[in-house]
Amino acid sequence: MSSAWALAGPVIPLVLAVVVLRRHANQRWCTVIAIWASLVWLGECDLTWHLVMQWRMWAVLLDVTNLIAASSAWDSVIWLREHPHMVPFRYYGWWSLFWAALLGIALAHNLALAWLAVEFSTLTSGALIIEVGDRHALEAAWKYILIASVGLIMGLIGLVFLYASLRSQNLGWAILNYQNLHAQFSHIAPMIRTLATVFIVAGFGTKAGLVPFHTWLPDAHSEAPSPVSGLLSGVLLGLSLFTVVRFVEAVPTARGAFLSGSHLLTIFGTLSVVVGALALLVQRDIKRLLAYSSIEQVGIMAVAAGLGTKAAVGLALWQFALHALIKSSVFYGAGHLSVLYQTQRLTKITGLLARYPVGAVGWAVGILALAGLPPLGLAYSEWLIFRQLWQHHAYLVIGLVAAALTVTFAALVYHLMRTLWRDMDALAPASPASEVH
Amino acid sequence: MNTFGLLLFLLALGLLWSRTMSYTVWFLAGEGVLLSLMVWTSEPWTTVTILVGLGTLVVKGGLIPVLIHRLLRTWPAAFRRDHPLPLWAYGVAVLVVLAVSHVIHLLGPTGVIHDTLLFFYALSSIHVGFVMIVARRHLLSQLASLVAIENGLVVLAVSLAGALPTFVELGLLVDLSLGATLMVWMSHRIRHEMQTTDVMTLRRLRG
Repeated sequence: MSSAWALAGPVIPLVLAVVVLRRHANQRWCTVIAIWASLVWLGECDLTWHLVMQWRMWAVLLDVTNLIAASSAWDSVIWLREHPHMVPFRYYGWWSLFWAALLGIALAHNLALAWLAVEFSTLTSGALIIEVGDRHALEAAWKYILIASVGLIMGLIGLVFLYASLRSQNLGWAILNYQNLHAQFSHIAPMIRTLATVFIVAGFGTKAGLVPFHTWLPDAHSEAPSPVSGLLSGVLLGLSLFTVVRFVEAVPTARGAFLSGSHLLTIFGTLSVVVGALALLVQRDIKRLLAYSSIEQVGIMAVAAGLGTKAAVGLALWQFALHALIKSSVFYGAGHLSVLYQTQRLTKITGLLARYPVGAVGWAVGILALAGLPPLGLAYSEWLIFRQLWQHHAYLVIGLVAAALTVTFAALVYHLMRTLWRDMDALAPASPASEVH
Repeated sequence: MNTFGLLLFLLALGLLWSRTMSYTVWFLAGEGVLLSLMVWTSEPWTTVTILVGLGTLVVKGGLIPVLIHRLLRTWPAAFRRDHPLPLWAYGVAVLVVLAVSHVIHLLGPTGVIHDTLLFFYALSSIHVGFVMIVARRHLLSQLASLVAIENGLVVLAVSLAGALPTFVELGLLVDLSLGATLMVWMSHRIRHEMQTTDVMTLRRLRG
């Protein structure tokens, strides 16, 4: 029931885009789409709330996806007003298909279905980046579609090996149901399990933005329309990661194998946290800053998921939900700031507190939340993940991640202070003394 | 079946070797026709096999080559040729093809390989496709290599499991047609906006 309701969500915006917005590009219809997306989220919450309370993975993923889709729809209303060159019917057409792809990933109970949905999400979000139309967007979209497709082909190779190992079951594509994989994994040769794990972690890890497969991410997330960046960063990265987690839970590798799913998640996760944190220090573009922060955050989720316990995976899910809320909001904010300042360059977006005090407070709260400052949510989930790492004696990972998070905090606060206060002197009326000199 | 595999491998080598984009179109169309023939001859004729074979023929043998051909027709001759393949690419191509026999040796005891020779051709085609995507610089060469890798993957599935699940095969065709259409559209826009078809010039976004 809830799955049918969820999948019906994107249909109405798609129909409105194709039938109505094509003829009347009216702001009112954009608002109707936003109201519909909000109603879908509320209806979904009503249907799945008891499952969310039990912290069921698919229910949490579904509700977070719909929530961010609703907020993205509301932000799209403002963003399209700020970008009159965009064609609303094409924008909403691709946006609805992208939303459908995200729901497909969240609801997929089958690895092949998840793969198709992830691939479809690449194409629909790529099309949204192309719609922006400038040179940077074209370059970003090209790299995004090419690199993500190559990564996903690797994932498909892993999937084919799994399918081939269980072909004697004669169940068709149902062989790749997570439940069936878990029931039958002992019939798959250990080497094939390891091989499939490496390919699938690398393949879906490319879409999750895990280092070293992340090279497309800063370009695509910074050049996409801001409401889409919110969905890409907040939702798609996490959904791709949790597809890997579902697979790793379903098909465990041989005990003690070095290339196990857990080890790979921990290694790539730690690398992502470190590289993401270091890259934050040198960013000059407001949306690239947020994109690198997403790499770092997905890294934390991967490290938690790599522990493989129910509690740690639950915490990774908690990190995903909080990150989705915060990151999508700051991406929307960054989009409006770049319109107000006519640039995405951080060196030019300054004196925010004096110019737009209300926006500045919201921006500051968002960035400080990403930096992990208590009492804002991410601080708690990160702290609890550290506790889990400590209980599992993962001291090296703790050391690396803690150092990286310190760098993250310093980098984000540095950029925040520059955007809030830098150049405020230039805005203040000249003092008599300065007039003399 | 192995003859189809061999022909596909030769076409993949042709794609890697060819600098002239019009040849690339023919090689791609050839791969599409081969794959559809493979579907029709490998299994008994049912509605599903007819549908999958027809879909393969339409998308891989028709739609994608035609889209590339129509785009190339509108471009001046200078944009219809790729840069020469760097020397290292020949060496790497030979090495990755030779490496396939080692993979077969490793996987042999697992019993997962259904048809060893076909597996060799399929994995070699995939490897050659990966070399092409790294070594070739033309926008449309990169698209062609993606399609070639995907074609190799379909044959790999045949060599391992007999076929891909129908649902996945049809889903792949939909994804591929949408992806190829988008990439052809992007190639047109990039050529128009930047007056180049060389992917090495896509270096504005850094850091």
